This record gives sequence, structure tokens and C-alpha cells, in this order.
Amino acid sequence: MHRSQISNRSRVFSQRNVGRVVAASLVVALAVASDVARAQTVPPPPGALRPYIFPAVEQFQLDNGLKVILVQKHTLPVVEGRLIIDAGAMREPAAKSGLASLTGRLLSEGTGAMTGADIARAMDALGAQYSTGAGFSTSFADVVALKNVFPQAMTLAARTVVAPSLPASEFGRVKNQALAAYQQSHARTAGLASDAFIRAAFDSTAPFSRPASGNLTTIGALTRDDVVNWHRTMFAPSAATLLIVGDIAPAEARSVAQQAFGTWTASRAVLPAVTNPVRPSTATRVILVDRPGSVQSSIVVGQAGFRANDPDYISMVALNHVLGGGFSSRMNMNLREKHGYTYGAFSGLDLRPGAGAFRVNSEVRTSATDSALVEAIGEYRRIATEAVPVSELQSMVNNLVSGFPNSVQSVQGLSGSLQSLIVWGLPLDFYTTYREKLSAVTPDDVKRVAASKLTPDNVIVVVAGDLSKIEAPIRARNLGTVEVWDQNGNKVR
Amino acid sequence: MRLRYVAVSLLCLATAHAGAQSGKSPELRIDYTRETLPNGLTVLYHVDHSTPVAAVLLWYNVGSKMEQPGKTGFAHLFEHMMFKGSKNVADGQHWALLEAAGGRAGADINGTTSWDRTNYFEQIPSNQLELALWLESDRMGTLTETLTQEKLDNQREVVKNERRQSVDNQPYGTWVEKTEEVLFPDNHPYHHSVIGSMTDLSNASVADVRSFFKTYYAPNNAVLVVAGDIDVPQAKAMVQKYFGPIPAGPTPPPLANMRVPTIVGQEQRLVVQDAQAPAPAIFVSYRVPSAKDSRAPAISLLGDIMGGGRSSRLYEALVRRQQVATNVAGFNFGLADGADMLVFTATGKPGSSPDSLEKGMLAELAGASSFTQSELDRARASERFAFVDGLQTTGGFGGRADRLAEGWTFFHDPNHVNKVLGEFDRVTLADVNAVARERLVSTNRAVLVYVPARKTAAETSSTRTP
Repeated sequence: MHRSQISNRSRVFSQRNVGRVVAASLVVALAVASDVARAQTVPPPPGALRPYIFPAVEQFQLDNGLKVILVQKHTLPVVEGRLIIDAGAMREPAAKSGLASLTGRLLSEGTGAMTGADIARAMDALGAQYSTGAGFSTSFADVVALKNVFPQAMTLAARTVVAPSLPASEFGRVKNQALAAYQQSHARTAGLASDAFIRAAFDSTAPFSRPASGNLTTIGALTRDDVVNWHRTMFAPSAATLLIVGDIAPAEARSVAQQAFGTWTASRAVLPAVTNPVRPSTATRVILVDRPGSVQSSIVVGQAGFRANDPDYISMVALNHVLGGGFSSRMNMNLREKHGYTYGAFSGLDLRPGAGAFRVNSEVRTSATDSALVEAIGEYRRIATEAVPVSELQSMVNNLVSGFPNSVQSVQGLSGSLQSLIVWGLPLDFYTTYREKLSAVTPDDVKRVAASKLTPDNVIVVVAGDLSKIEAPIRARNLGTVEVWDQNGNKVR
Repeated sequence: MRLRYVAVSLLCLATAHAGAQSGKSPELRIDYTRETLPNGLTVLYHVDHSTPVAAVLLWYNVGSKMEQPGKTGFAHLFEHMMFKGSKNVADGQHWALLEAAGGRAGADINGTTSWDRTNYFEQIPSNQLELALWLESDRMGTLTETLTQEKLDNQREVVKNERRQSVDNQPYGTWVEKTEEVLFPDNHPYHHSVIGSMTDLSNASVADVRSFFKTYYAPNNAVLVVAGDIDVPQAKAMVQKYFGPIPAGPTPPPLANMRVPTIVGQEQRLVVQDAQAPAPAIFVSYRVPSAKDSRAPAISLLGDIMGGGRSSRLYEALVRRQQVATNVAGFNFGLADGADMLVFTATGKPGSSPDSLEKGMLAELAGASSFTQSELDRARASERFAFVDGLQTTGGFGGRADRLAEGWTFFHDPNHVNKVLGEFDRVTLADVNAVARERLVSTNRAVLVYVPARKTAAETSSTRTP
């Protein structure tokens, strides 16, 4: 594999993924082109906007209750099939944290007479990109393949979800891989800060107070019986959706779905909606996590309690984009372009069933950690308390509105957009009206949503870095009550 | 003139042995029109009306391999300066205008620097094509007219932060620069990293920026791609209007001698005590033919067969059977001139010894030959998919515009994009076995061992003759 296109290159800007923000395009009123000067000293005006129409979303259901969503895209011979099941980490008991994720890993390790190695060889022989796993909201199996081999890849992927052997012989090894993945992510300041943030912001009964991976203790305690039971009780067509996106005709999509999943007969009780109770708080908490030797600190400032199916969701999307959704957003212009503290600073709306989180984050050089925190909290306060100028709002909203077609050029972009709707409980025709709604957001809307949702004097601040260098300067800033946690989320002082 | 393809017929679904299905590559073609402006700018136009999106993308034929000693990291630092305004574009306006027009920062609007080239791109709604062309032309023509020490100081800090974020603060973050240092001799243009050293970044001056601009940033040293939902005559008129008046620059200085011996000559071994690493990791790298060599596709396939996925030899041996590794990978960088680097890496279990990991890995690599046809077919299938998958986007990273520019810059052949699949199809088992036998030898490898350490980083190195 020639990997230079995805790594090992330096680029001017790299945006960390801080939660998915969706948008759609809109025909907006455009300034009429005026006479163009001889030498162009001002930006040339745009031409007539060509309309963008989100592709038709077709739905059907198999006899066993499996919902199938089909979006055709015929530009290249690529098809994706993605099965998502309402069996993410949010559904697992706290004591078994990491169970969904471990089960997801084991799905690819055998079905019928095929071993994990057989499955890997078969998928690779097809050139299919195949993965199984679980995140916070869903367990999934995914294949992306050239159209001529898609039916075979989808059929095999389905067998690994519907009838996995979850082999005892591979259990210990795969569990070790899960433990190692946890340790690798927690060797990074960003992983430490992210976990400390959700643990502080959510009530301990909230699924989102825990990382979807589980932790060393809970993963270590999982048994193969746990995995088998989880699969038996949680994996059922009535709780699943199959997304098929790409260069495939409806008739063939139906036949592939039927062939792959038609015989799946498991059933499952209807489960109540997940709640993610927020931890009550009255003042800002500052949580410090030590990672000796760090030359940068990860900083996070934010709050819990945001939902996609909230009437103010769209205004919140606009607010987020002004604060930290793009390069020209306030966070990045301040921390990077004005002060040079960081390579990038962002904000994100990390939506989850029940309740999600809104937070700003950045990796800042160690010596500037306290100064960067002051600027980040300052920007959070400013957007919470001061009106956003209409021109700034329009620019950032238009970025979301007009940039949407770019993000759904690939089948993976399309399926990701649709998956968000399913997970968040939004209607499948969301993208046809969302664009108008987003464009209609006014500074007053942002002001109202800011006043009702953001509490800049009562936020969670997390810093992971070298405390021998940053703790004293942070304490001297008097940002709130300071606590020091160990890397496992336990308060040490 | 639009992207088109003819899919191969559906293979038999009843076939039980998927390994037998080597298949054929889909026939697809990226059409383009080429023109050369009098000032030497090469322009490629590619039409695709499927989405109302247009892409503007420039490759300048300059990368870190052109940097002089003591000025490492400069090509990339310069790339950052290209976003700080030019004669008619105030600082911050490049981003602000493009974001307001609908370009997503990072994915659609960005610049990247590699050893071999620097690129800049915008993917925007097609009615904003003229804005993107104007912005690119303004900085190509007038970048240094508004250059200030303050702008340079700011971006120097940003780049230092980028280095901290991607190298110094990450477990194993130094592996690329350490591998380059041992696979290429001192003073070889690939010996130093793209991001450069903190010291050299500190020493960069405004005069350096001016001189670099004058030397390399001219229309005759670049290729411009205009792709997507465009009308070619209209796009040509815009290109002529904005890029036509920019004068040609002097011919850039010739590239330093990139040639290196076929193999390194002696095994290089380096042990790194990494205070941030939670588990040991091994990187074994080999000097191999470059991206311009006819054996390049065989090199990529060799990387796949050995370490490219869960059916690769290293995964089966180290992860499944011996269980000394939790993950493996195999890939080459695609360096264009002289030689490339083929890398295999394995990450151990936390708390485990690096010795068994290293031993297992070297044993597997030492036996790397006598590949089977099904191993080659699997590797080829994954390359085929990855190539087609990448073509889904018009602009941005690795999309169609990027592929067209790559063909022109490295091969002087814009049609190169339409030959890639055929080149993979033609590789034989004998080809892969031959490069493996010649290159995967102990005298041609660099072994980098990362050992978790609780203390501050220290290093030991040794050279081992077999």
C-alpha cells in the first residue's frame, strides 16, 4: 500500500474530529456580478449557483423486520453496505464496559467453518474493505467494495454478524488487543483529556461518562460468555438498519439484502431510549491529568447536555461553527493565528442519544498552557454573552450550507450522513429541509441558544500535560476549583 | 468528457473459493484537456458534472528534497506562508473568503508538503471557481509583496506546534525522521524530514522566504488542475485572465544527485527509549526502487503481501500465531527520486519484551519470498479498490485532481492516472519475488526498536554486520 497520501506529510491545517456536524446546501441569494476591474484587486463575485439535490433515500423492510436504506450513486463502481445495530456501548452495563466493543472485534474472527484468517483472506481476495466493531451508539459491520464483488462481500460480512462463532480460541488474543488499544489511546494527552472530560461532565450512571472501549479493569474482567450473551440478546434484525449506498440498482440491492440477511431470525425486546444524565454542577471545575514529559498539553473546555432532536439544535450548529467549526472560526484565529499557541483550535458538538457534549479543544505548547486556557475560556464566554455580528454568522453558516455537497461525494460520506440521522433519531428527509433552516438562523437565535444552553461560569475544564510545568501557572489563573486526577480518572488531590 | 467506466461482469456468486477470483480491474478513464500558457504554466482540465463542485489544485515542483543544509523544514514553513495573504488578499482572507464560499477547512482547503512536491487546493461550489483561481493566482504572482517578520514569526510558532503535535508529543512520533536518517546517507536530500528541525525553523528568515519564492514559485514550475463541474472554455478564459499575466520565473536549479546504491550495505539498528510509548514497537525499513521506477507497483504489492492487512504474512505470524504483536502494517512512501522506503511495523503488547517481537518480525521478513499467486491476487485486489475509492472525490487529498497533478509532476504524463490499474495488473509473481530477494535483505534494512521508558528519552545505536 502506498500510504503517503494519508500520513507522513506535513500540511498547513489538520482538523481534529470533534464530533460530526452536518449541513446541507441551499440556494442562497447571490450578489449580482458587477463590472470586473482590469487587474483584479477584489474577490471576483460568484457565478450562478447550480442546485444541489441530496440523492433520493429509498427505504424498504425485509420480512424479519430489518430496515434497509438505499441511496444510489453511480459515479464510480463502488458500493458500501453498512449494518448498524442499536447495540453500542451505551446499552451495556457499567460493570461490563467495553463489552460491545470487544464483541465487535470478535465478529470478524469466525463464522461457520471459517476462521478469522479465512475471513480476512476471503475479504482481501475480493479487495473489500471490511470492518466490524462497536462505538458508543451502535455495533456495526461494514463493507466497501467494487460493485462486481459487493454481493459476495456483503453476504460474507452478514454471516459474521448474524452467525459469528465468537471462538474461544481467539478470545484471549482479541481481548489483549482491546487492552493494548486502550493503553495506546491513553498514552496520548488527547485520549486522557477526552476521557476525563466525559467522566467529569456526566453523572456516573450515564453511559457517556465512560469511554466506549471500556477500561483496563472492565475489559480485563470480560469473559467469552459475556460476549456470547451480548450477541444473543442484542443482535436482532428488529434493532438494526442496513445502509446500502453506491453504484447499485434497487432490484439488486433488494436481492443482496435478502440474500445476506433474509434468514436472520433473532428477536429482541424493545429497549427504552438511553438517557445520559448530566452531572449537576454550580461552578467551573478544572481537572488536571499528569503526563510527565509532555511538550504540549491537551485542553478541553465544555459542557454536557446537547441533543440533535432539540428545537435549538440548528442554532447550536451555527453557534458552534462560529466558535470553532472552521479555520476562520474564533478559537483558531485566536489561539493559532493570533497567539501561535497551537497548530489548531476547534469546537465541536458531540451529539449522542440522550445527551451529548459541546466543547472546545486544542493541543497547546506546554509553556503557553495557562495563557491558552484563558483565551479558550474567554472565547467561550464571549460567544455565550455577546451578540454575534450578522456578517460573521452568515459567513460561517454559508460554509456549512455550501460545503455540504463536497462532503457527500463519496459513498462513505453519504452513509456517514445517514447514519447520524438514524443514531440521533432524526427523520431521513432531514437534509432536504435542514439547509433552509440553517440559513435562516439569525444572531438573535444564536443569542437565545447561547443564553439558554451555555454557562461560561460553570464549565468543565480539563488539561492533560506535564503538571510539573503547568499546574502552578494554571492555579495562579484562578479559573475554578482545581482537582488533580490520575490517568484512570480517580481524584488524587 | 466525463468520468466513465465499464464495470467488469459480475463474478459467479456460487464460487466458494474467493481466493481464486483474481478478477480484473474495472475499466475507467479520467478524461482531461491539457494546455500550456506562454509563461510555462501547465493546466489540466477535467470535467465531471455529477456534483456541483469544482476543484482547483496546484502542484509546485518543490519539496523538502530541494532544501539546503541548515534550512530543513523550509519548504513546509513556506507553504504555511502561502496562507498569510498576498498583494490583494489580506492576512486571514484566503481562509475567510473560501470558507464563506463553502470550502471546508482542512478537507477542501489546504496545502501539503512532501519530500517531492508542495500542493495547494480548494474544493468549492462550482459557481465559486473564479474566486479560487483568483486567490491562487494572487499568491503565485505577489506573495512576497506583503510579507512581514510578524507573519513569519507567527507561522514559525504554528509549525513548531505542528511538529510537537505530530512528532515530539506522540509515542513513536520520531520514527519517520529516524528511518530517513539511517536509510539515506548524510547530505542526501531524503536524509532529513519534511517538518525539519526546531533549530533550523528558528533560523528561518524573511530573506529566506523571498529567495525561496523567487526560486521555485513560478508558473513554469507548477501544474494547475481545474476539475469538476466546469465549462472548459469558460475555465480557460478565467485561467488566462488570472494566471496569464504572471511572468515566467527563472529555471529552478537542478536537483541534487539523488542516486544511492541499490542497498544500504550494512544493517542499521537503533534503539529508542520512548517515555511516552506504552508498548514496544519495531519499524523495519528497506531501501527500494523509487516511485518513478517500473518496479514501483511490485514494491507496493510486496508491502501489502507482507504487512498490508489481516491476511498479510506479518499479521498471521505475529498477531495470530505467535501473539507477540497487537498490530502490524506494511507500506512504502512513494518517494519519487533515487530510492524509496518500504516499511514494516509491528506494535507489541504493553509490558512485553521487544526482543521476541523483533526476532519474530525479522524471521518473517527473512523468509519473504516464494509468494503464492493468491497472496499476490489479494494484494492486487486491495490496491485496485484503494485506487478507485480515492477517485470518488474531485479535489482534496488524493482525489482525481491530485492524481492528475501527480502524473504530470512525476511522470510528465497527465495520462498516468489512467495507467495505474494496468500497471498493477501486469505485475507477476516473479516480479514481486525478485524485488523481495534483492531488497529484503539484512544488509539493506534499518531496524528501529522503540522501548517504553519511564525516564527522559535517550538513545543508543549500533551498526551490525550480518
